[in-house]
Amino acid sequence: MNELDRKIIEALTRDARTSFRSIAAEADKSTDTVINHYRQLTDEGVIRGSTVVLDAGRIGYEGTAAFHIDVSTTTGHTPAQVLDTLIRMPNIIVATKTVGEHDILALAAIHDVRHYTELGREIAAIPGVRSISSNVWAGNPEICPKYFII
Amino acid sequence: MKQEQSLDATDTAILRALQLDARTKYTQIAEQQGVSVDTIIKRLNKLQTDGTVKRTTILLDPRRLGLEIIANLAIATEPSCTEEVIAHLRGREGILFATHTMGQYPILAIAATHTMNEMNALKEAIQSHTKVHDTKASIWVDQILLCPQNFELEPEEAPR
Repeated sequence: MNELDRKIIEALTRDARTSFRSIAAEADKSTDTVINHYRQLTDEGVIRGSTVVLDAGRIGYEGTAAFHIDVSTTTGHTPAQVLDTLIRMPNIIVATKTVGEHDILALAAIHDVRHYTELGREIAAIPGVRSISSNVWAGNPEICPKYFII
Repeated sequence: MKQEQSLDATDTAILRALQLDARTKYTQIAEQQGVSVDTIIKRLNKLQTDGTVKRTTILLDPRRLGLEIIANLAIATEPSCTEEVIAHLRGREGILFATHTMGQYPILAIAATHTMNEMNALKEAIQSHTKVHDTKASIWVDQILLCPQNFELEPEEAPR
């Protein structure tokens, strides 16, 4: 990563729709050079994509929840399979395998208490899930918008 | 209590398109929706003005930026001191996020560091806070799956 890469990342983090032309003008480089560097950053996976940051409270979400999930390996199911099902569920916004207390962590946007309970039940019903515990908090703070996005 | 926004099909189409790719051309969204580009821009301006849309941004892979270790931290504190501990956490390098929660632990935090040693040092430093009883770290492994588009934008269809 060089100076131009950092400038591109900085500009697009602030506003993903910034034109390559204006980044080029700012960095005193040609637009083609900026586009090439952007493509490389994307191909290398440094930039994983772009998205819009919404105020979840305004689209009907009262809170956020973290589900800590354990997978039963005796049933022949793997954490990877559970993760695959999880990530397709509406309202799950981040999911990852973890090493530590639990096998999987999933963060979800929550409409209300009933929705929280239902979502917990749905996760518990995924084949291979042995147990879940959860934390919930009111409001929808941006969770690491640069990396994970809410 | 914040006023909830009611979104129509055009609003939803705009947000869905931008959630998947914030650089989607407005002409493309307009064509799909059978409306003019002006309509798209006007709608988006409205969504920005009323605060529904905060901004657009790129998603970076923290590991490719040298932040190799990502973990969530479950922190137990003296019950009356959670706010104090959260404030302390938020000021620390490596802490990306910290919130008060209901459930197993009073505080949940997410941290990213360059190395395992750094993460361990961070955990020990948190542990050494006089109001912290216990800190448990879970390290995130493999790919972190992100699904910002999993938000339900159609509240009338959402199971409530």
